[in-house]
This record gives sequence, structure tokens and C-alpha cells, in this order.
Amino acid sequence: MKQQLIIAVGREFGSGGHEVAEILAQRFNIPFYDSNLLEEVAAHKNVDAAGLTKYDERPRFFGVYRHVHGYSNSPAENIAHIQFKYLRTMAEEGRPFVIVGRCAEEVLADFGCVVSVFILGDEHRKIERVAKKYGVRPDEARNMLLLNDKKRKAYHNYHCKGKWGDSRNYELSINSSRIGVESTADIIEMYIREKYSRD
Amino acid sequence: MTAQILAVIIFVLMFLLIVSEKIERHIVTLLCAAATLILVFGLCMHDGRAIVETLNVGGIFKTGFWYAPGSAEESSVGINWATIIFIAGMMIMVEGMAKAGFFRWLCIAIASFVRYRVIPIFLTFMVMSAVLAMFIDSITVILFLAAVTVELAQMLKFDPVPMILSEIFCANLGGSATMCGDPPNIIVGTSLGYSFADFITNTGVIAGISLVFIVLYFFLCFRKPLRSGGGTADPSTFPKPSDAIKDKKGFIVSCVIFAMAIALLVTHAMTGLTVAFIGLFIALVTLAAAGRDMLKLIKKLDYKTLLFFVGLFVVVGGLEQTGILEIAADFIGRISGGNMYLMVAIIVWVSGIASAFVDNIPFAATMIPIIRGLSDIPGVNLAVLAWALSMGTDVGGSATPIGASANVVGTSVAAREGHPIGWGKYCRYMFPATLIVMLISMLFIWFRYI
Repeated sequence: MKQQLIIAVGREFGSGGHEVAEILAQRFNIPFYDSNLLEEVAAHKNVDAAGLTKYDERPRFFGVYRHVHGYSNSPAENIAHIQFKYLRTMAEEGRPFVIVGRCAEEVLADFGCVVSVFILGDEHRKIERVAKKYGVRPDEARNMLLLNDKKRKAYHNYHCKGKWGDSRNYELSINSSRIGVESTADIIEMYIREKYSRD
Repeated sequence: MTAQILAVIIFVLMFLLIVSEKIERHIVTLLCAAATLILVFGLCMHDGRAIVETLNVGGIFKTGFWYAPGSAEESSVGINWATIIFIAGMMIMVEGMAKAGFFRWLCIAIASFVRYRVIPIFLTFMVMSAVLAMFIDSITVILFLAAVTVELAQMLKFDPVPMILSEIFCANLGGSATMCGDPPNIIVGTSLGYSFADFITNTGVIAGISLVFIVLYFFLCFRKPLRSGGGTADPSTFPKPSDAIKDKKGFIVSCVIFAMAIALLVTHAMTGLTVAFIGLFIALVTLAAAGRDMLKLIKKLDYKTLLFFVGLFVVVGGLEQTGILEIAADFIGRISGGNMYLMVAIIVWVSGIASAFVDNIPFAATMIPIIRGLSDIPGVNLAVLAWALSMGTDVGGSATPIGASANVVGTSVAAREGHPIGWGKYCRYMFPATLIVMLISMLFIWFRYI
């Protein structure tokens, strides 16, 4: 593909969104970013990545942080803004990539080369996946699911105007439980190739 | 009684809404001010005089508002227009200085003077932070100082966090030294009629003594990480002070205006020129010197902060007019039993603890009528309570990352460059430092004045 391509993947915890994004990165042969984005940011800023990753995709707690003239003392909020800025810089430089989470569908909304996708799943399927992947009991998997989705939603909705998972904010919303991770990636790939063939 | 309950509800609501940050704080205070005027003064009290007194517009047209020779400035209730005009003037002056590159030049010049060695930079930046904050708002001081610190840290390979934390603390401490250093001091000074000289000879002495202890404290805390972090850098990559100056003529003019502002403030008790006059004069001179950029400077004026003050003073005026603050003063008077030692301790520590968690400006504005009420008790000296209030509110804000605006700005600048500072890291060093200074303040006030 000659044109710049950025795929922004939002996902529910346990939906396999991360794997779908990885498959797409391989198929289009473009870099893949998830939590490793902060490692690249840290290397770029010459700072310790471990100091940043603990604040990655964390929601902001009420009353504990303050804003003054556009500055916030919330580490999570500042780390989020560093990532948003870095994503925009990469996009401006014409770099193609797949990015998971990090409000990318809205942060990069001004770039015409962005395809935004949201991967969701049925609860029982997500519990099965999480239990198998992390080796935990189904009730523990369910708690992990609820907690992580709650955090992701709070993080996303704090930074974005559009609501997390609202299909109106994404080009595609796909339930990966119905057709599996590989087929979900197939459909997204097909959509992207079709879209780009028309440009 | 209904008016009192309503005034308290509006006040508490205002605090909660400010903390929640759901609505911009100037809109919060203005809406609460409107509620105070309409519901408390209008519907409950049917008192037009209270409205006129609280709006306090008439005061601006009195000669004493601008020129008060041989006497302290008039103390006032309601909207403290002198504070608002002075802060607006200083905002314009600082904007002019920043535009010319003054602050960056100063930081680089000092770093260059100590030959870009980490520990000397650390020590001199702390002192510079305190000295600058005596005359300029601590947000501006920290904004520039923290940015240069991060830049130097990348170049000299040290962790900027210890240095930024020390600078934040010293900026808040320096602000307590003068009448114009921190908004609570401006409010205390203009409301109770104290001069620049009164502050520098009282809170200034406390801040000076505290600074010695604090520099030593931070040196002991951070000497190891700063020494171990300093790497070797190529001297040819060091920034030159002259490169920081964006506009030579503007730079010289802003230096002259700054010197003039300091001279006017230091001598205002002798000349009789009030801080409102000085603020307006400095603003007009800066605007005149800006020439074509005049409009740009005016547009950059932080009108939201000024409106925040207007609304805040009206809400506090509501508490004052309904007698709530008298009740609070009576309560403090009763629990202290008229004992000055206890009263000073209560004011220093309550102000300090409150300022660590809530905005110290509304707190100071609320406490002023209370300490004025306390001074009616025989043997209670208003000035002593004013110094206790100033030190408590100015220094207490350093204890937590949300206690003062400089803390928020400083930690944010650090985080944006990849050095996040959470509550734990912040409080580990800043909380003990705050305790040290509050203890020094209390003991100093006890031994010097009582």
C-alpha cells in the first residue's frame, strides 16, 4: 500500500483487540504500537520507561488533581498527553502504524489516513479468553474484565468528546466473539483494502 | 438565620465546585456571587446597603484608593479592587518580560555563572526561585525555571525532579516574604492596610530564616542523586544567555519596568502611592512601551483569574455581611481563651493544613474578617495574626501537589518531559519541608511578638 495508513484500534478487555491489531500490523507490514509506544517515547525523551508505564491508560481520580492554566499535576493525564502528541507527530511525519487504545480514533481524527475500529465481544467469550490467557478462575476473569473496561472507559471519556465504544466514533465496530480473531482481522483488512482502492 | 444558612451553603458549594473542576472556577465564583447578591442580600436580607458595600465600587473613586500619604491604605470589605487592579498590572508586566525573554535569560545567565555544575545550579536556582517569587507570581517563576531545569537536566544528565521540587518550595516560600509575592499576601495587605515594608520586615524575616534551613534540608535530601547523576557534557552545547533574549530593546525596557515596579513597591509606604496605583501605573507603562504589541499583551491578560477574584470577594462578603465570620472568630477566640500563643498556633496550622488541600486564595479571603474580629479581643494584635495567616496559607500550600498553583505547574512541566511526580514522591520531600517552615514560623511569631 503506497499511501500512509494508520489503524486505530479501540477494544474491550478480553475481546482479542490486541491480537487483531497485531495481525493487521503484520498483514500491512507496518509498525505495531500498544504499551510499547511509551517505551519509544521514553527512548525519544531519554528517560526511564518504567517511570512512565505505570501511568499508562490510567483514569484521573476526582479531587486528587488540579488544573492551573492548562497544566495538570496528574501524572496519568500528562503521560496521556505525551502519547497523544507523539502519535500526532508520527502521523504528521507520514509514518504508517497500528495503534491500540490511547484515544487514537479521536486524537488522530484530523488525519484522513486513519481507519478507526472498535473490537467488542460477548461477555462469556471474553471471560473464557481472559481465564485461559491469564490462568485465572472465571469469576476472577469477570472481575478483571469489569475493572479493566471501567478504567479504559474512564480514561477514554475523560480525554475525548466521543464516548468509548460508541459505534458512531469508529468506522467499524465488530464483535470478535461471533467470528473469531482471525476472521475479524480479515474483515477489517478487506475493508481497508476496499477503501484504499477507491482513493 | 436563613440568610446565614444560605450564605454558608453558597460558600461550601463554591468550594466543592472549584475542587470538582467541572465548571471553570471563575464561572463558579461569579455564579455564586450572583446567588449571594440576589438570594442572600436581596431576597433574605432586603439589604441594598449590603450589596453596595460588597460591590465596593465607590471606593475606587476615592483619592485614598490611589494615594494615601502618611497612613496605611484604607481597609475594606467586599470586593477588594486594589488586589484585582494590582494583580492585573503585574500580569501585564510579567507578560511583557516573558515576551522579551527575561526569565530564560536570567536562568541561563545564572547556570552559566556557576559554569553549568549541577550542585551549584541546584543551590542558586533555589535562591533565585525564592527571590523572583518575592515580586512575580510563582506560576510564572516556576514555568520558566522548571522548563530550563529540564533542559539542563537533559544536557548535564541529571534527574530534574529534585531540583524542580526544591524550586517549587522556594517559590512558595519566597512569595510569603512580600506583600506582592502571593495573592493571599496582597489580599491581607490591601484588606488590613499593611505596606510592603510591613511584610518584608515581618514575613520577609521569617521567610529568610526559613530559606536557610530549607536550602540545607533539600541539599541533604538531594545531594546524592544530583551528584551521581551529573554526566560530562560538551561545553559547546551549553546555551548562551544572550540567545535567550528575543528582543534586545524589549528586554532592556522590561528590565527597567521591573526595577521601577520593585522601587515603587518598596517605597510605597513613604510615597503614599497605593498598590492599586502601582499596578495601574506599571500596566500603563508596559503597554505604552509595547507599542504595536499593546493589544497582544491585553489579549493575554488572564481575565479569568481576575473574574475569579471578583466573584470570590462577593461570596466572602456574603459570609461577612450575614455575621458568619464573626461567629467563626468568636469560636476561635473562645477555644483559644484569648491566649495569643494558642491563637497564633491555630491560625498557622489551620491555615497551613487547609491550604495544603484547598485553594489558599478563598481561604485567606475568608480568614481576614475572622482575624479582624479576633483583634477586638483585648491584648490581641491584628498584625501578629496577619503574619500568622500569611505564613500558614503561603507555606501550607507546598505540602501537597495540589496545594498551590506553582506545585501544579512545576509537576506538570516535569511530567510533560517524561518525569511524572505522583503524590508519594512529592509528599515524601515536600511535606517535611512544609512542617519545618510552619514550625519556624510559629516559633518565630511566638518569640518575637508575644
